[in-house]
Amino acid sequence: MTFFFYLAAAVAVISTLFVIFGRNPVHALLNLVVSLLAVAGLFFMLGAPFAGALEVIVYAGAIMVLFVFVVMMLNLGKEIEDQERRWLTPKVWFAPAVLSVLLLGGLLDVLLTGGQTHAAATTTIDAKQVGVHLFGPYLLAVELGSMLLLAALVAAYHLGRHD
Amino acid sequence: MNLGSAHLTALTPMLLVSATIVIVMLAIAFKRRHRGNATLAVFGLNLALLTSLGMLYIGHEAITVTPLFVVDGYALFYTALILVATLATATLSYAYLEGFKGEREEMYLLLCLSALGGVTLACAQHFASLFIGLELLSVPLYAMIAYPVKSRRPLEGGLKYLVLSAVASAFMLFGIALMYSQVGSLLFLDVGAYFAGSASPIAVVGGAMLLIGLAFKLSLVPFHMWTPDVYEGAPAPVANYLATASKVAVFAVLTRYFVEAGGYYQISLVKVLSWLAFLSIILGNVLAVRQNNVKRMLAYSSIAHFGYCMVALIAGGPLAVEAVGAYLLTYVVTSLGTFGVVTLTSSPMGERDADAIYDYRGLFWRRPYLASILTAMLLSLAGIPLTAGFIGKFYAITAGVDAHLWWLLGALVVGSAIGLYYYLRLMVSLFLRDPSNRQFNAPLDWAQRTGGIMTLLAMLLMLAIGIYPQPFIHLLQLASLTLPG
Repeated sequence: MTFFFYLAAAVAVISTLFVIFGRNPVHALLNLVVSLLAVAGLFFMLGAPFAGALEVIVYAGAIMVLFVFVVMMLNLGKEIEDQERRWLTPKVWFAPAVLSVLLLGGLLDVLLTGGQTHAAATTTIDAKQVGVHLFGPYLLAVELGSMLLLAALVAAYHLGRHD
Repeated sequence: MNLGSAHLTALTPMLLVSATIVIVMLAIAFKRRHRGNATLAVFGLNLALLTSLGMLYIGHEAITVTPLFVVDGYALFYTALILVATLATATLSYAYLEGFKGEREEMYLLLCLSALGGVTLACAQHFASLFIGLELLSVPLYAMIAYPVKSRRPLEGGLKYLVLSAVASAFMLFGIALMYSQVGSLLFLDVGAYFAGSASPIAVVGGAMLLIGLAFKLSLVPFHMWTPDVYEGAPAPVANYLATASKVAVFAVLTRYFVEAGGYYQISLVKVLSWLAFLSIILGNVLAVRQNNVKRMLAYSSIAHFGYCMVALIAGGPLAVEAVGAYLLTYVVTSLGTFGVVTLTSSPMGERDADAIYDYRGLFWRRPYLASILTAMLLSLAGIPLTAGFIGKFYAITAGVDAHLWWLLGALVVGSAIGLYYYLRLMVSLFLRDPSNRQFNAPLDWAQRTGGIMTLLAMLLMLAIGIYPQPFIHLLQLASLTLPG
């Protein structure tokens, strides 16, 4: 069942191109969410359901939340409302919507025809195996990853301060 | 995979740096005191440095700690070298940041985090640790370069470094993925065994993309565009860190990758690398001649120096690892002194750093000791005998001659000749008559300041390596890697 694999790959590439060429950051975010969903589809097709689920929850989910926060913070009055109305012209949401519908169609196709994965997916890697690896050979990588997050946090704190 | 006490002992330097990070962070959260926080960071880094040197001298056996890390003489030597450069940066930052209006303490936290990334790279024998180490080295650097957030140039430098570094990381990840698709393992040794046989073109392309990422961090010539702007924009102590610790860490992992992961078997890549080295030497030196800004000049000169160091790596053979080590050791000591004087002249931080050659006019008549140190360091950068730079260049040339790399050696000689010109140009201006409207003066008590002591030590070490290199050569021999085949 390789059709969905290539469909999702094409959607990922096209929506990422929209992200790069989009002028408005909010529109770029919309496309980025579609791109991440498509990549999650790729992970599912390659036999990595855990990675796919994380992709949806963490990336698409977290970015959606960020998006909502941005809109909430900007949503201050009539003027902003008009601006939002200008932002939400069909031209803006048409492309991401079409790409999402394509993804949904592919997903339904996979579900209805039995849910086979791509030929490259020889084994299915579930959450348990990921956990065993993270707490086994990659233990120190996880610890260093926490240091990396700390570094990013301190850097963002220092650069983002207003005083 | 169990972590026993032997493993934890082997990891002591890394654990000490991590502990320092946590303690400094808590201390800052508890109470912001510039002197206290800086002292804590320096104390912790010193402990880690002493441990790594001690372990190196005792003659540690190579211990593999989880598949990701190996702690051997090589790793300990580069750990020590990176920590020395970090400590020097910390002491220089202290005097420099006295003039900074905002919060000064984060610098030490970021510095320790970046040093941890460097130490990780020195021990890495696995692509996962290579990537995490490289990111941990670079992410704090974004903030360190743009540390004075209100100024335009540092911000511009930080942004350039951020964007280009992210692109380089993307290249590298893709390269690693391509290699993994063919090899099925991320361990350097497995990759080496794969390349020793017949490698598929996909794996070779992967290797090339990995090298693009590393060459960006080392600013070899086609990937060097960011270097002068970032060095110019970064605060002087951070430029010092960029030129020394960050590059040494990347070169250390590159050398280990070459030796263990079969870089030498990829003939086409070695050929490409020799072109990169050739271009770095020639372009780095030629562009440095045209600079009137000392930091930009040093940036171009560092491009050229890593070209020289590349010659030693490309040469291969039994001498390569030792020659690379010798070159990096001498380069670090010399650069610390040079950037140290630039930082001390610019301290405490003002509107801009003392980075125009004009600012150094007549420095000798105002600050004779500082000017003498700078003179000695510039001579060492140029590779004059009796200085450390000569020993490093001698090693690189010996390795090159052994491998019959004649055209690269030709570039090295021509490059050194051009280098002498612009180093002497700066040196001459030190002794010219004092201009009436001078802007920059090192503080009068510079020698008492920790930064002054550090530059003085760097000069003494530089002369010691130049005049009596035997103990240092012994150290380098403890830090050898076994070449395959």
